[in-house]
Amino acid sequence: MSYAVEMRGITNYFPSSGVLANKAVDLRIGKAEIHAVIGENGAGKTTLMNSLYGLREPDSGEILVDGSPVRIPNPEAAIGLGVGMVHQHFKLVPSFTVTENICLGVESSRLGFLSPAAELESVGELMEKYGLGVDPKTPVRELSVGMRQRVEILKALKRKAKVLLLDEPTAVLTPQETASLFEVLRKLAAEGCSVVLITHKLPEVLAVAETVTVMRRGEVVGRRPVAGATIPELARMMVGREVVFSVERGAARPGETELLVRDLVVAGSGGAPAVLGVNLRVRRGEIVGIAGVNGNGQSELVEAITGLRPAELGRIELGGTDVTSEPVRSRRRAGGAHIPEDRMTTGLDMQASLEENAIVASYSGKALSRFGFLRRRPIRDFAQGIIDDYAVASASPEGGVSTLSGGNMQKIVLGRELSGAPRFILANQPTRGLDVGSIEFVHRALVAARDRGAAVLLVSVELDEIRALCDRILVMYGGRIVGELSEAEASDEKLGILMLGGKL
Amino acid sequence: MKRSAVWKDRLLTSVLAVVAGLVVSGAYIALTGKDPFKAYFELFKAGFGFESLTRNGLFQTFQLSTSLILTGLAAVVAMKSGIFSIGQEGQYLMGATVAAWLGSSVHLPYVIHPAAVIACSMAAGAIYSFIPGWLKVKLGVNEIITSFLMNNMAVLLMTYIVNFPLRADKGSTAHSAIVDETAQLPVFFQGSKWGAGFILALAAVAIIHIYLKRTAPGYALRISGEALPFASYGGIRSARAVLCGMLISGALAGLAGAIEILGVYRRIMQGFSTGVGFDGLMVAILAKNSPIAVVVVAIFFAGIRLGAQIGLQASMSIPRELGGGIIATIILFVAAESLFLGFIETGRLKWRKALGVEGGRGE
Repeated sequence: MSYAVEMRGITNYFPSSGVLANKAVDLRIGKAEIHAVIGENGAGKTTLMNSLYGLREPDSGEILVDGSPVRIPNPEAAIGLGVGMVHQHFKLVPSFTVTENICLGVESSRLGFLSPAAELESVGELMEKYGLGVDPKTPVRELSVGMRQRVEILKALKRKAKVLLLDEPTAVLTPQETASLFEVLRKLAAEGCSVVLITHKLPEVLAVAETVTVMRRGEVVGRRPVAGATIPELARMMVGREVVFSVERGAARPGETELLVRDLVVAGSGGAPAVLGVNLRVRRGEIVGIAGVNGNGQSELVEAITGLRPAELGRIELGGTDVTSEPVRSRRRAGGAHIPEDRMTTGLDMQASLEENAIVASYSGKALSRFGFLRRRPIRDFAQGIIDDYAVASASPEGGVSTLSGGNMQKIVLGRELSGAPRFILANQPTRGLDVGSIEFVHRALVAARDRGAAVLLVSVELDEIRALCDRILVMYGGRIVGELSEAEASDEKLGILMLGGKL
Repeated sequence: MKRSAVWKDRLLTSVLAVVAGLVVSGAYIALTGKDPFKAYFELFKAGFGFESLTRNGLFQTFQLSTSLILTGLAAVVAMKSGIFSIGQEGQYLMGATVAAWLGSSVHLPYVIHPAAVIACSMAAGAIYSFIPGWLKVKLGVNEIITSFLMNNMAVLLMTYIVNFPLRADKGSTAHSAIVDETAQLPVFFQGSKWGAGFILALAAVAIIHIYLKRTAPGYALRISGEALPFASYGGIRSARAVLCGMLISGALAGLAGAIEILGVYRRIMQGFSTGVGFDGLMVAILAKNSPIAVVVVAIFFAGIRLGAQIGLQASMSIPRELGGGIIATIILFVAAESLFLGFIETGRLKWRKALGVEGGRGE
């Protein structure tokens, strides 16, 4: 039996960073199967897929499509061979309709004129065949994220994709949207399409895939049918050691209020209000979660609380002091710490050394500088302390941070933010893009901070994370807090309904 | 990758760019029908040769490099704070104009006079540099455009001042009166213009190097320039840090102008601007924004200029503009540095393979 796609001995080496991203990797995708490729961040999944989609030609190895060897120098060639890709960040024209987006580049025309009727008809046929209902005449900007993803899938199908690559497709979806995506994927497989699902969410692998290939450190460490596999087993293959899933967490003992937000209104980047009158309170010794689909005002709320974005109206108090119009610096002095959602641009300076990254919030303090001069010895010790305490692999104080893995980068951010025992910690998507081992580490650190008496506000789109860590859960939708659930009340269904703007 | 390795790569890139620039420029010379090897020999002999204390190109090269070091350093500080300012030329002119004015119209004793003049020139350059910086930080106005326009304004302002308020006589070219002897900077050897200004420039390099590497405000400036979102997130007062960088940058360019007047020309004249500010930008680019490397590059550029003028034009009758051509070619190769980085990487890879060492795997 020939495979839909077979990759043999693929090696990808990045000379500029000295990273061997793929080391003689074999990947075999059966016809009409849903195949999951899992691995920690930096395991080489994305590089492998880029080689299959023509974004990077491998340094060695061969690729076979339908049993015959092929060269894929660019995405056009990949599309020509029936390989389609749905990127994590959608590539759609917001002002175009669904049909126009699907047909962009492969328009139907008659005598050089576009023929919208023919396009509409062909798109309609596709939708019916694969059960992908989207209104073909709606402009894409009016669609929800889940619907946009459908358009991306239709785009690939319109180009006669027989192999569909999906890169972390559920990262932006609600539980309900995820379930319906899986329906679509099953339908695609039933129609003879092969689906490659890149993910690090193990429950999804069990829910939808038939075969799974596990990658670790650039190599394939296993390939097996999903039937009979368990999450701990896959996690062990992925990480190379046992992983504890549920963080041990005793009951919260909430103390005094540390963060108080009153009637907060914050403008979004376009000027329109993104946060519309939020009230919330976080007490010492508790973790409060804010659940919600990305883009419902969470980022603006976080930026307002940390001082990166001005509040239009309302009041923010830290430890009883009004900090509404105080700059970032004073809020940090008041005991506030911030684990930002984007560690590559906000949380770290990729060009700077590890120690320069470690001291950003404390460099001007007495411990690290004197008469305006930086004290090298204490700075080096401080950075080394973070490396030791947080077991940051292959790092040195004077070394750079850009070549570290996502998990190790986040350890540096954590080490810096949790040093000096902050009284309030705002963690925004603290485990985004991290592998299971690092997620466990971050979760433990947050719970430990809570038990030490810190007030923790956790903003996350991952419901598993919210439910694993939070003592109280708030749901944010359309710039407002639309519901509060206790740890016991919260279920995926209830949270999902609130996250989509429904009522319980 | 270790940062020291990054530095080695940068050094190697610059050296390769210089070599490639010289090779390609050699082809220009060959096109004129002259022997490129002899031309380069003459060029380097004239630019860097040393026959005796009073007869050598090296000291003159040092003198010529003084203002390049300072404008190069000014460009480095601006770029480190994340502002791509090309206004060094204007700040240099402002510094020079103020020096010519105060050097001749205010009368003070030795030492105090040049010190006071230099301080005022630095202030003038700093203010002139602060304006585009402030417009950028507070209003988001593109600094390339504002600093460029302000260069033109400085040229016009200087031309007016030389032609009217400061005009010394009715000669064919407008120029100011010679600055007081008390204000002139001492030279190391009679008959040479190489003098105290060079020491001031080297001191400035040392101070800026320490400021950027070892002080808290220097750290704030660098981080704000490298990664503004990270700096604001960490609580660094970035606007203040960046504006501080612009003040320092302008002051350095102003200092260059003052030294040129007090140490070399002793007066300012119509057409005084020779593009020293723009040359400083090129120095900063080839020096890869390192204050220490600025000294080496500035001396190298000055030597090529001088060598082209004396060695090529005078003794081989090759136009001296070729010196500018060589520098421009080198800069072109610096701009194409990814080309060299590619060479360096492949070379390294081949060595590793030949030695049987496996490529390192990063995390």
